[in-house]
Amino acid sequence: MTETQAKWFLIALGLYLALGLLFAVPFLLKGAAKIDGDAVEGSWGFKLLILPGTVALWPLLLSRWLRFDAAPVERSPHRDAAGEGR
Amino acid sequence: MGHAYRAVGWNRQKKIYDRTLGLGLIAYLVLFVVVGLLRWPEHSEETLALRALGTGALLLLHVILSIGPLARLDHRWLPLLYNRRHLGVLMFCLALVHGVFATVYYHSLTDGNPVVDPLISVLSANQRSDSLAHFPFEIFGVVALAILFLMAATSHDFWLANLTAPVWKALHMLVYVAYASVVLHVALGTLQGETSPVLSGLVGVGVVWVLGLHLVVGWRERGLDRPTTGSPSAEGYLDVAAVDELKDGQAKIVTLSGDRVAVFRNGDEVSVVSNACQHQNGPLGEGRIIDGLIVCPWHGYQYQPRCGRSPEPFTEKIPTFRAQVRAGRVWVHPTPLPAGTDVEPARIGAEA
Ligand code: HEM
Ligand code: FES
Repeated sequence: MTETQAKWFLIALGLYLALGLLFAVPFLLKGAAKIDGDAVEGSWGFKLLILPGTVALWPLLLSRWLRFDAAPVERSPHRDAAGEGR
Repeated sequence: MGHAYRAVGWNRQKKIYDRTLGLGLIAYLVLFVVVGLLRWPEHSEETLALRALGTGALLLLHVILSIGPLARLDHRWLPLLYNRRHLGVLMFCLALVHGVFATVYYHSLTDGNPVVDPLISVLSANQRSDSLAHFPFEIFGVVALAILFLMAATSHDFWLANLTAPVWKALHMLVYVAYASVVLHVALGTLQGETSPVLSGLVGVGVVWVLGLHLVVGWRERGLDRPTTGSPSAEGYLDVAAVDELKDGQAKIVTLSGDRVAVFRNGDEVSVVSNACQHQNGPLGEGRIIDGLIVCPWHGYQYQPRCGRSPEPFTEKIPTFRAQVRAGRVWVHPTPLPAGTDVEPARIGAEA
């Protein structure tokens, strides 16, 4: 990377993470409980622990929140063959 | 699931484990710096601390990568497996301090922005990728650290459930990319630095160890997923085992419909469920029936053998299969039933 490239990379990364931090506030207060029932009574320690991941992966969580998805059950050949998830 | 999330699910064993780990680590770091100061008096404390942190992280990474295959070879390693994520997070913390420290120590300018300038410097350091001796080895450290961050940040159960298991697993498979990256970081770094060749040698041994262990396990398990064959009965059942093969309270694992199933014997009853635990795909067939419930060997989720449902108030359910016992053989219908379907167990001794 040249210095100019490094500079732009850092600016982009900074912006992305700043948006993530903004997103994390409402998400940890409300959104997490919306997409995952187990988070309804999540402790503050829990919220603190998932903060870094929220800041880093916020677009994924945002799309889940917007779709009001419940936590999905993993697919497997057996579940598919039994006609689940269709 | 029905458990409110907590920060860390500590119990007595995990506390002992974490305390041992923490003390061991502190001992390693202190010992490294003290011995280093005596052995190489020309090095500064900072350099030694940097190396202590880096090698400590690398050592832990080897332990982490070894636990999985070791646990498959010998079940006595399983307790280490359950606590692997604490190891992982600790390893990341070490690597983070190492990386931040290196960035600040080697890349700060005397007058400049204390945060931005060192970062730019690390990212753009050593642009001479034309020669091995000047190749930017730090960038490999940065790549590894970024991956390790993502893994540590998503190590809570919340992420497994909400990223969905395939995404989470793909993310955590990146540990091998991180490992390769760290190996390059160290190999190129020692090539350039004045560090003793002992470290390069040790890293070589480590790579051979990790690769070898994975190959051995792959070799040993190669036959496990061979699908059950044989001619089906009139109703489509397949012969999967002799009754005598099944020990009470335990299972035989066979492959049907493209995935593993666990054929459990509970007294004189035979029940068959899909082998993958709904929690994290733990191998239910390697667990036991305790108090009438299949107990997952990984984190203890329970399932009723008949219907594959977790007992109230839990809501997990796994696919079930129909079974028959005829002439001392267990026959299973390969078509899975929807998760949680109740199936009358086949009875040993009450054969039609
Ligand atoms: C931002 C990321 C990183 C930076 C900037 C960085 C920087 C450095 C530097 C400057 C050295 C040479 C130290 C010296 O010998 O004077 C070094 C060595 C080393 N690093 Fe990193 N590193 C990073 C990430 C990592 C990670 C993630 C690991 C392992 C998990 C790691 C493990 C090591 C090891 C084992 C050494 C060799 C120590 C020795 O020479 O004895 N580094 N790193
Ligand atoms: S995988 Fe966690 S309990 Fe089964």
